Amino acid sequence: MMSTLATILPAMLGDATGPTFWMPEAASSVAGDVDWILEFINIISYVFFAIIVFALVYLAVKYRRDPNRKQISGEGPTHNMALELTWTIIPTLIVLVIFWVGMVGYIDLRESPDDSYEVGVFAQKWSWTFSHPEYGVTEGGELTVPLGRPVRVIMTSADVLHAFFVPAFRVKQDIVPGRYSTLWFEATKPGSYQLYCAEYCGKDHSKMLATVHVLPEDEFQDTMGKLAREYEDLPDADLPRYALVRLYNRCASCHSLDGSTGTAPSFKGLWDRTTEGATVFTDGSSLKDHMGSGGEYEVPENYLRESIMNPGKYVVENYTNVMPNNFASQLKPRQIEALILMMKHMDELVDEEGNIIEPPETEEPKASAMTETTGDGD
Amino acid sequence: MSQLEIQPDSHGTDHGHDHDHPDHLGHHWENSKQQFEAGKLGMWLFLATEVLLFGGLFCAYSVWRGNHPEIFQYGSQFLDTFWGALNTGVLLISSMTMAMAVTFAARGNRKGIVICLVLTLMGAAGFMIIKYIEYSHKFHEGFLPGYAFYEEPNASHLWLPLEHEHDQDVAHATLETEAHNTAFAHETIDRDEMPLPPPTAEPSVIPAAGTGPDGLTTNELALETAEFAVFLPPSVIGNLENQGPELDFAEHHKPGEVPHLSHPLQDPDRPPNAQKFFTIYFLMTGLHGIHVIIGGVVILWLLLLTLRGRFSKGYYTPIDLGGLYWHIVDVIWIFLFPLFYLI
Amino acid sequence: MVIDMTRLDTGQMQKPDLAPRDNYLTHTRGIWSWLYTLDHKRIGIMYLTCVLSAFFVAGIFALLVRTQLLTPEGTIMGQDDYNQAFTLHGAIMVFLVIIPSIPAALGNFVLPIMLGAKDVAFPRLNLFSFWLWVAGALFFVLALVSGGLDTGWTFYTPYSTDPNSAMGGMIPAVTGAFILGFSSIFTGMNFIVTIHRLRPPGMTWFRMPLFLWGIYATAILQVMATPVLGITLALLAVERAFGIGIFNPALGGDPVLYQHFFWFYSHPAVYIMILPGMAIISDLIAVHSHRHIFGYKFIAYSSIAIALFSFLVWGHHMFTSGQSPLVNVIFSAITFSVAIPSAIKVFNWLATMYKGSISWNTPMLYAMGFIFIFTIGGLTGLHLGTLATDIHLHDTYFVVAHFHYVMMGSALIAMIGGLHHWWPKITGKMYNENWGRLGFTLVFIGFNVTFFTQFMLGSQGMPRRYATYPADAGFQIYHVISSMGSYILAVGFFVTAGYLLQSMFGGRRAPANPWGGRSLEWQCSSPPPHDNFSQTPTVGDCYDFSVLEWNEDEQGYVWRSDIPHPGEEEPGGH
Repeated sequence: MMSTLATILPAMLGDATGPTFWMPEAASSVAGDVDWILEFINIISYVFFAIIVFALVYLAVKYRRDPNRKQISGEGPTHNMALELTWTIIPTLIVLVIFWVGMVGYIDLRESPDDSYEVGVFAQKWSWTFSHPEYGVTEGGELTVPLGRPVRVIMTSADVLHAFFVPAFRVKQDIVPGRYSTLWFEATKPGSYQLYCAEYCGKDHSKMLATVHVLPEDEFQDTMGKLAREYEDLPDADLPRYALVRLYNRCASCHSLDGSTGTAPSFKGLWDRTTEGATVFTDGSSLKDHMGSGGEYEVPENYLRESIMNPGKYVVENYTNVMPNNFASQLKPRQIEALILMMKHMDELVDEEGNIIEPPETEEPKASAMTETTGDGD
Repeated sequence: MSQLEIQPDSHGTDHGHDHDHPDHLGHHWENSKQQFEAGKLGMWLFLATEVLLFGGLFCAYSVWRGNHPEIFQYGSQFLDTFWGALNTGVLLISSMTMAMAVTFAARGNRKGIVICLVLTLMGAAGFMIIKYIEYSHKFHEGFLPGYAFYEEPNASHLWLPLEHEHDQDVAHATLETEAHNTAFAHETIDRDEMPLPPPTAEPSVIPAAGTGPDGLTTNELALETAEFAVFLPPSVIGNLENQGPELDFAEHHKPGEVPHLSHPLQDPDRPPNAQKFFTIYFLMTGLHGIHVIIGGVVILWLLLLTLRGRFSKGYYTPIDLGGLYWHIVDVIWIFLFPLFYLI
Repeated sequence: MVIDMTRLDTGQMQKPDLAPRDNYLTHTRGIWSWLYTLDHKRIGIMYLTCVLSAFFVAGIFALLVRTQLLTPEGTIMGQDDYNQAFTLHGAIMVFLVIIPSIPAALGNFVLPIMLGAKDVAFPRLNLFSFWLWVAGALFFVLALVSGGLDTGWTFYTPYSTDPNSAMGGMIPAVTGAFILGFSSIFTGMNFIVTIHRLRPPGMTWFRMPLFLWGIYATAILQVMATPVLGITLALLAVERAFGIGIFNPALGGDPVLYQHFFWFYSHPAVYIMILPGMAIISDLIAVHSHRHIFGYKFIAYSSIAIALFSFLVWGHHMFTSGQSPLVNVIFSAITFSVAIPSAIKVFNWLATMYKGSISWNTPMLYAMGFIFIFTIGGLTGLHLGTLATDIHLHDTYFVVAHFHYVMMGSALIAMIGGLHHWWPKITGKMYNENWGRLGFTLVFIGFNVTFFTQFMLGSQGMPRRYATYPADAGFQIYHVISSMGSYILAVGFFVTAGYLLQSMFGGRRAPANPWGGRSLEWQCSSPPPHDNFSQTPTVGDCYDFSVLEWNEDEQGYVWRSDIPHPGEEEPGGH
């Protein structure tokens, strides 16, 4: 209830781009057009609804028969060509107008400006990866875009159909494996906005969320710069926290931090389980059988690396082989190292309940947010 | 007037009072002609549904052929026109004998009906035998739809068990990591633990295709030079490399040019996704074959009914309707034959 | 000389407490006489029982779905279970309930009698259609126990054809739907031939009641569209089992091709659902307003127009799928053309009420409720047919609300209204009118509360098929209200089922013509005799009610004694 009020209040208080009764906040250049087209159709609908329902109720009441008299009505016209033509032609003209308006608005939605900033979107069950080729940056679960510039996303899927949907921007497009699809938007309000997957893709379809962060141009450049270097320049000691904050959100929909299991084992205590070698796989072998000198995994880190790069090789018992097998091409080697280090140092990063422990010194938090926030206004 | 009063407990079989009511006439019909006409209308409606059933596949054929004509030109050389033409002849003759059966039925000539139905049945059987010859040759040679196309010829099993997909995934993932390495590796990671690809067909010959009518395909966006493409896995990048060879292929291989290969996998110049030809071939001829079997069963049933003396000059509707069904089965083959064997 | 049935049966003047000595229910006894019956009325009853049972099952799934969404993190189920719940709700409702409900259950019963025939054209085929329905239902049960089904009722590829993705019940479910498709095709064939060939003398096309026009248009769709579903499902099953690659991009296939195949059938399918409903409403409004229908020819032609146009608009389900913008524009334009015939019908129905003598009984309440709900459903179709807004609204709860308004609030409400309308004819009993009004009120209120809130949910951005949703998006209040509505709706349905069942055992005996209908089914007894008519009837204007009058003894309507029957010159006499 409170969050509904929070979303509607700004409009009530006069923020023209805030959420209204029908639509969420308007944060893109096309949102205004889409909203007024919707209002236009709404008004036509209200009018026709009112006419029809009023007629319905009025006629039902006025011509209600007396239950005791049971008379048959012998009067009343049975046809009237002029009336039929009128209520055929007028609605036809109205829908033609609606169609035209919609078509024109749609063309704007499809035609992206030539100088759009391009972002690659790679969707897979059940996470998002965004790449900024200009800066050599890959983001997981979060998309940072500049304010006031058209952005064109070029999308493909690894496996099944997904869809890119940001309600605040009023844009949506299906992502089809085997081909590229695009959409474009220009963000007009800084802030963080929810991104949903809008084409059913399986178990964790409702968890396949991401956040779009809109930053003014200079902040955007800063952030891109930092992200590009963030793990290259980081000292090894900072890699675990980097992995947790920047990479983990791609794993979050299946691997929990607090010990709860579902689609996949929890990361909590994973390193201990790995070093002990107690994990049993679906083929009956245990991790211990594969470890040690002369075995497949000379060191436990190699098992973790293989689990990321080639997850289908050994599947932990009582789970199924659903982990995407293309993280190998999404992550740079140093990022994989960071993830392994994160597992090793999980106790220091995350508490018993799975909450992230803040670093002791108060350095300024990295720009473009932590993983937990989901879009909610600015 | 009493005869006109309705008896509430009158029998359903107490029909009208001014005409005899043959056995074959349903109780709700006024006369045989009405029943016959209705049966015909019903059968034509059913034939319309059969046409629509195949229509979807014909649609898929046209779309695929329109987008990738080279696949069809290439694939059709591996079909033996002789058997296809023989099948066509067999079906045409059987259609003729079926029509003769109907004519005999209208004349009340029971012996004639039996002979013609038997001949038609032999035609149906002949068609299926020829089909068996063709199919078994294909299975033997390895011309199979889908993933099975990429198996070694003379593979002992017809269809891939589902584990193969898993193996494909493993092999796929392995090759991707290898490609990933060559793209990025200046950091040393010990790759000795990575498994070797299993000795099956190379998944890399199955690139993700950028097909789709009017859809946004890779070429439209000219993404070959997009830098961000390197961040995407090779299976997707395969799109980009896929488009070029298709166009080159059509130039290098003219129709009628038979490379005398026993299997396309031996031809390095084959078009990408050549297996699509066999996919649609088996789907359409397979569905047609099922209908030939159904038609055969119907004709057998008609034969049994004739032998039991169910039909007469006044009533031979099932033979007429069965004949209609057999004709449509024939007509569909008349379309399939040129589409796959001739062009 | 052909005798007019109407005179003869009303001449029987049954007292309300005396049932006809022999009717279709008592004609033969024993379970096998039902299971192997060739009587269209019994087949209709069997369909009705089965369809309503399936409705109950799918309704339970719906309640599970609504309960799950009460809280953002999910209230009662995990993701897998929820995905199965909404899939099964949709698949059962679409394939087992709504598509067969009016044509197969009510149509089978009413159509031949209303037409003046003794049975449908192919009674054995009719029985076969019923058993195909049962087989299809069994395959759905098999799907449940062989791995479950979680693809959504639309079975989109590549998810559904990937054994590593969709659950194992896919192939049984798809086979079940395939079989159900044939059940639908054969019913359609039967009805078309019946209407073409079994009309009695005098029953010209434009003397048929509008219910028959609607059923006829539906039958055309069933015959023409369903085979495409057949081939689509067959391809799905083959792809899933053998991996042939027709929809798999890795083998050169196209996932969007599946969507084209699927919606080429499924859009006409939704008109298979609504046309019979509209057909019922035409007759309900005319009869219960006791007034000649307004604009008969326009209503009749609009049914055919809707049937034909429905084949041209399937792409409006795929605006975001990757089709070219040109194709999108074309589909959007044609989609609006389909809206017009529906609007014409609504206006004609309202005009029928003008100067009528309207009974506010349960069937009429359902008819008026239909107009209210269908108006909303149809108008929101405008939002979805408009390209610019559909991009935002596609795959959100706005779509869910829209199709529930037209499929459930309209088609199903019409079916229930028709059930009440023909209940006395089918069972020979009258239900309690006050309970009927209560049931309607609960259903109407519950329905609107449930689904109107979902329009806002969708336009605010809540996507479909989500088991959980972000807590801070402001969605929860809408979900809570919607779920409360669904519980009211459920109570309404239980109340309705309750009093209808009760009437079967303890209800007042029904007269031949309790409502004052003029079409031929009201001229035979309630329940009808085994073979409907012994002589072919003659037909007058089925909307001219002025020849009827209320008879207090019978508690029903009878032919006026001062007006001759059609084909006769003198009133009353033989």
